[in-house]
Amino acid sequence: MIITAEQKDALLELINIAFGRAAASLSELTGQRVLLNVPRIVICSMKEVREHLENLIQGEVATVHQMFSGPVAGEGILLLDYGGAVLLSGLLSENRVPVDRLDQSDQEVLTEVGNILLNACLGTFGNLLEIHLSFSLPRMQVENLNPLLDSFSVDTEGVRYAMVILTTFSLRDSTVHGYLILVLAVASLDLLVQSLEKLG
Amino acid sequence: MAKILIVDDSALTRRILRRALEPAGHSVVEAEDGARGLERYSMEKPDLVILDMIMPGIEGLEVLARIREINPQARVIISTADIQTSTRAMVREAGASGFINKPVDAESLQKIVGDLLNPVS
Repeated sequence: MIITAEQKDALLELINIAFGRAAASLSELTGQRVLLNVPRIVICSMKEVREHLENLIQGEVATVHQMFSGPVAGEGILLLDYGGAVLLSGLLSENRVPVDRLDQSDQEVLTEVGNILLNACLGTFGNLLEIHLSFSLPRMQVENLNPLLDSFSVDTEGVRYAMVILTTFSLRDSTVHGYLILVLAVASLDLLVQSLEKLG
Repeated sequence: MAKILIVDDSALTRRILRRALEPAGHSVVEAEDGARGLERYSMEKPDLVILDMIMPGIEGLEVLARIREINPQARVIISTADIQTSTRAMVREAGASGFINKPVDAESLQKIVGDLLNPVS
């Protein structure tokens, strides 16, 4: 799917606003200053997601998945490198003893963080594009990156595209690598792009 | 001051809300899902409820409807990560007394709670 340079600029502007909101939410939650680098956006087929991610992150990742529906529908996936997920959970947990592994309590914390960040991003889309999105219960998983990427390649639901938003955010002098993947059917991506043009 | 029931499946959010409310002198009771929220509402008869929108089992707006059947004057604040203005309008139409976005800011929450408990006539 091809989008024009102007459409991509409009999308990047939308995402900057959305991520600004997400960073503010993360800062509020953690009580830490959050520095966000400029997001990079890639729109590609599901099969191509692997090549964009596999050089950036390896091994175990913590993911929060959330379905959204409405005029634009799909799945939002927040993907954090495992070390970053441990750091983030540690900042938000009552038990501040440093740990190496995420326990059930940590997973619950990260689910809520993912819920807030995904809603901050997708809700901003809804507000700016004047469409209403409904969200499912978020679901958190710790998984290896490769099986996750493999699942993207098996596109059983027709032709879908991924909008991969790559960013890193820094808090408490550490860098957490966070990626947001929005999986959309072609019709939804078309509608998103058309709605963006109306904003311009 | 007041007894406040928090209904939210997230222990993190319940903790954040409790920390915002107890220093203001309120007593807090909790429920981790809609079904337990309805039980505790009937048992505890709180002055105000802070209710999550999306939970496993009975969802927040359904819990709101059932609370209002028990008590049409119930004060219920919906707390949600959903920042859409369309959602805020939907929640108001469903009969919520107030609306607050996550992550909850303690000062904003105390103001909304204060305004509901002590309305200026």
